[in-house]
Amino acid sequence: MSGGRNDVTARRGASRRLPLGNWERALLVLLVLLTLGLVAAVPGFYPGFGDFLALSENFLPFGLVALGLTTVILTGGIDLSVGTTASLAAIVMAELWTGLHLSIWIAALLGVASGALLGLVNGLIITRLRTEPLIATLATSFIYGSIATALAGDNPPSGFPDSFNRLGTGAIGGILPYQIVLFGVLAAFFSALISRSAFGRKVVMIGYNTEAARYAGIRVDRIVTLSYVISGTTAALAGIVLAAYYSAVRPDMGSILLLSTITTVVLGGVSIFGGDGSIAGVVIAVLLLGMLRQGMLIAGFSDMVTTMVTGAILLGAIALKNLFAGRGTGLATLLRRLRIRPAATT
Amino acid sequence: MTQTIIRGARSLRAAVAALPLLLGTALAGHAADIDTSKPIKVAMVPKLVGLSVFKANEQGAQTAAKALNIDFLYTGPVTASAQGQVDVFNSLIARRFNVITTTSNNPTQLAPALRRARKQGIKVVSYDSDVSPDARDFFIQNTDYAAFGKALVESVAKYTGPDAKIAILSSTPDATIQNEWIKALTAYMKATYPKMQIVTTQYGQSSPSQSLTAGLNILQANPDVTGIIAPDGAAEVGAAAAVQKLGRTGKVAVGGCSDPDSIRQYVKSGIIKESPLWDEVKEGELVMYVARLAANNAIQRNGTFTAGDLGSFTAKDGVIVFSTPLIFNAGNIDQYKF
Amino acid sequence: MSAPALQAAAALPVRPRPARGSAWLRRDLREIALVGVTIATVLVVGAFHRDFMSLQNLRFMMLGCVVLSLLSLGQTVVIATRGIDLSVAPVLGLSAMVTGLMAQTGGLPLYGAFAIALAIGLVLGTLNGLLVARLAIPPIITTLGTYSLYSGLIFLYSDGTQVDSVPHAYATLGNGVVASVLPVPIPVLVLGIVLLLMWFIIGHTRFGRAVLAIGNNQAAAYNAGIPVTITQVGAYTISGVLAALAGLMFLSYTGSATVTTGTGDHMELQSIAVALIGGTAIAGGRGNALGTVLGSLFLSVILTALVFVHVPPIWYSAGEGVMILLAVTAGRGARA
Repeated sequence: MSGGRNDVTARRGASRRLPLGNWERALLVLLVLLTLGLVAAVPGFYPGFGDFLALSENFLPFGLVALGLTTVILTGGIDLSVGTTASLAAIVMAELWTGLHLSIWIAALLGVASGALLGLVNGLIITRLRTEPLIATLATSFIYGSIATALAGDNPPSGFPDSFNRLGTGAIGGILPYQIVLFGVLAAFFSALISRSAFGRKVVMIGYNTEAARYAGIRVDRIVTLSYVISGTTAALAGIVLAAYYSAVRPDMGSILLLSTITTVVLGGVSIFGGDGSIAGVVIAVLLLGMLRQGMLIAGFSDMVTTMVTGAILLGAIALKNLFAGRGTGLATLLRRLRIRPAATT
Repeated sequence: MTQTIIRGARSLRAAVAALPLLLGTALAGHAADIDTSKPIKVAMVPKLVGLSVFKANEQGAQTAAKALNIDFLYTGPVTASAQGQVDVFNSLIARRFNVITTTSNNPTQLAPALRRARKQGIKVVSYDSDVSPDARDFFIQNTDYAAFGKALVESVAKYTGPDAKIAILSSTPDATIQNEWIKALTAYMKATYPKMQIVTTQYGQSSPSQSLTAGLNILQANPDVTGIIAPDGAAEVGAAAAVQKLGRTGKVAVGGCSDPDSIRQYVKSGIIKESPLWDEVKEGELVMYVARLAANNAIQRNGTFTAGDLGSFTAKDGVIVFSTPLIFNAGNIDQYKF
Repeated sequence: MSAPALQAAAALPVRPRPARGSAWLRRDLREIALVGVTIATVLVVGAFHRDFMSLQNLRFMMLGCVVLSLLSLGQTVVIATRGIDLSVAPVLGLSAMVTGLMAQTGGLPLYGAFAIALAIGLVLGTLNGLLVARLAIPPIITTLGTYSLYSGLIFLYSDGTQVDSVPHAYATLGNGVVASVLPVPIPVLVLGIVLLLMWFIIGHTRFGRAVLAIGNNQAAAYNAGIPVTITQVGAYTISGVLAALAGLMFLSYTGSATVTTGTGDHMELQSIAVALIGGTAIAGGRGNALGTVLGSLFLSVILTALVFVHVPPIWYSAGEGVMILLAVTAGRGARA
């Protein structure tokens, strides 16, 4: 999973890395161009300001998951259980609401808390049992999925109170969707957490070089565990928002979150090996991929074409990024690589 | 290139072959009775593009759409997910379609998006698998649930005897329509064959390979099972393939509901004696008729209407029962190609 | 994002590796453990349910793991280079769909199906390899991207139709036995041949050594003169070809293929799980072909046992998750 560290760092020494923020800026320009292009060219994409903003309700739950997943990926890990965590948290909420007649908001809070707990389980399995994050969260995703199916029964709850459903589809003053507010606040929080707090610096340091971080006195296990708790929490929050969006829960409702969210995080400029990336980039990537998908569907492209284009963009973007960073053997660097070998590192 | 030609020929044959279907209602009226002066845009959104049953619906819908001056679009998600369908609905709303027709991956999750569509004046017609009643204008039910439950039990009961041990192989534990059928068949079984016993219920997740594995496991773990009822396309095929692989043809009867193309070989080899379904192609036609009538506001939630050559139908609280179960057997299955 | 000071200090290998000296012993332990647990499961469940031990059931538990085993063998090689291949699921699906539709409508002979499957696997696998090795796109991202692209190809090619039946020759490949005097199912024979081949390639060829060396330390392997690019491309090509072969075997065994074949069952995740259960290290440098097949058989036996002991179906996937955790953590204990 965390492969290629050596050669990547080796080549980094040789060629200058992108100055901070270039990737984010490029994404931002792309986002603006794409949005303007869609507004101009696709009838129905901009029916009015309120409706235009409401488009984001269809993809912001992915963004919530992405925020937490970014934290985990920055440590050099991965969380494959985000999808089933989202489902399970939503079902916990719904069952508490129907079964124990709790207030929906208290049930929702407990749902989010259950996500944190599931994340804690992931973190403990990874750090205490020394299991690779990929395999640990793959296994727990199977287990959480079973629990979700069992709890949901053959007729999962639906029809939540309207006050709750507004979280998914409502808007302040009929213009500004609650989802945007929630995502905006959380994005600002995560941005500060990752780039301005001691915790964030430790997360990045662990992802950059776990051993060095350990020698530097960082309590690696604790930080790593905490990052999975965070990921579980945001996944659960996404599950709750989805429940409000659909006014229903299903044990498989989160399953589409996983692969799309990884795509988003990586496109946002976060290194899949950890230690490099920013929340700003991820936020822009959330909007970029979301707008692209909504725009293409409204323009009349099928889900199939839209999915294929997303895959191609992911490959193209990362290839391009590598090209500018002097990695890989594509075009510009090919000639140079033929002559100069990367410096020995071990 | 040859591929498409062959397939084109196949669908043509299928359309011709589907003609002799009887609906039990008198032929009356023609498309001429319906106001088709204004073109309308109608979308058909299956659970997932790429399955033959839905393709059969599309085939019928295409034919009817031409006659009804409908600008027709068949589009759907590439995974059987509610989110995929909702995304498609949203795009159809933005593109100002007049009618959205759909068979739902699940009834509750799709409801808010379809309610939004209705609020904007878009008519919503569900077929096959329903959504919440307040999220659609009309629902075309394949067959009456009780009648279908009876047909499912009878598809094996005749061959297993009245005191058989039966296994059920369904799709997923929360599949709406499968659960309705299982409820209906259990009720019928209790009333008609009180000694019949359902010993296990397994799930194939609508996946051919998982259904096959589940079928094999059912038969190995429950050697006294003599009948499998599999009310799901992939599940019936999986159960039949399992019987064949274990060499239990003639000892275990399989019944369920699948499109004729996928069970043809098993019907011919005698593993499946009877398999109830309905004519998916004609159902697709009816969906378009109802869409047209709904767009014209020429159809009542309670009342009768005429759908061209398909005959007349009755709507009750917005629910239209399409047909009585159509039983495929070795004698008639070759008349149906979808 | 990262502090520049760290950047300079980061030229160290991330993870200290265990010494290679006792590798053989460790590997044998893993295989013995898997065989032991599998046999124990058969005996214990068989004691309560005689039919579990019947020859027929044993045969189907073996047959049931063939497709996943083939997929996981390819995954094993890729993971050993410290990569990962998520696109195996759509490659499997595309191969099953293309050969299946051609067989169903055009009567494609079996040797033609092998050729086409091989070509599909070769092209798509090599494309993955080139993206990883030449453009330095991390494996998980490469194959996530090609996962979408290859899945799209299935929809494009099938145009919404599906495979419902296959010609007799295919059914024989999927269900027949080698000879009446030698009642070994043909798919098991196919798996046996591929296993032997992969065991030989990983353990006894220069390519295999290169795979493990790259997985251990890519930069060091490069400096030692190992052809990194070719080896990486080769690993993904093997994975592609085996996934396509798995697709053909799936088609022959089930007689069907739909647009969600492979991807619908999340075969990519299953294959990763099986490779890791079998003792291949996710951090690269260790690949165990025999362990992979034993791991796959183990999973097949466990999942069947759950049905026999009447565990409700909802918990099957949890059972799988627990088994993965047990196998991986127990293996770690044996390694230490």
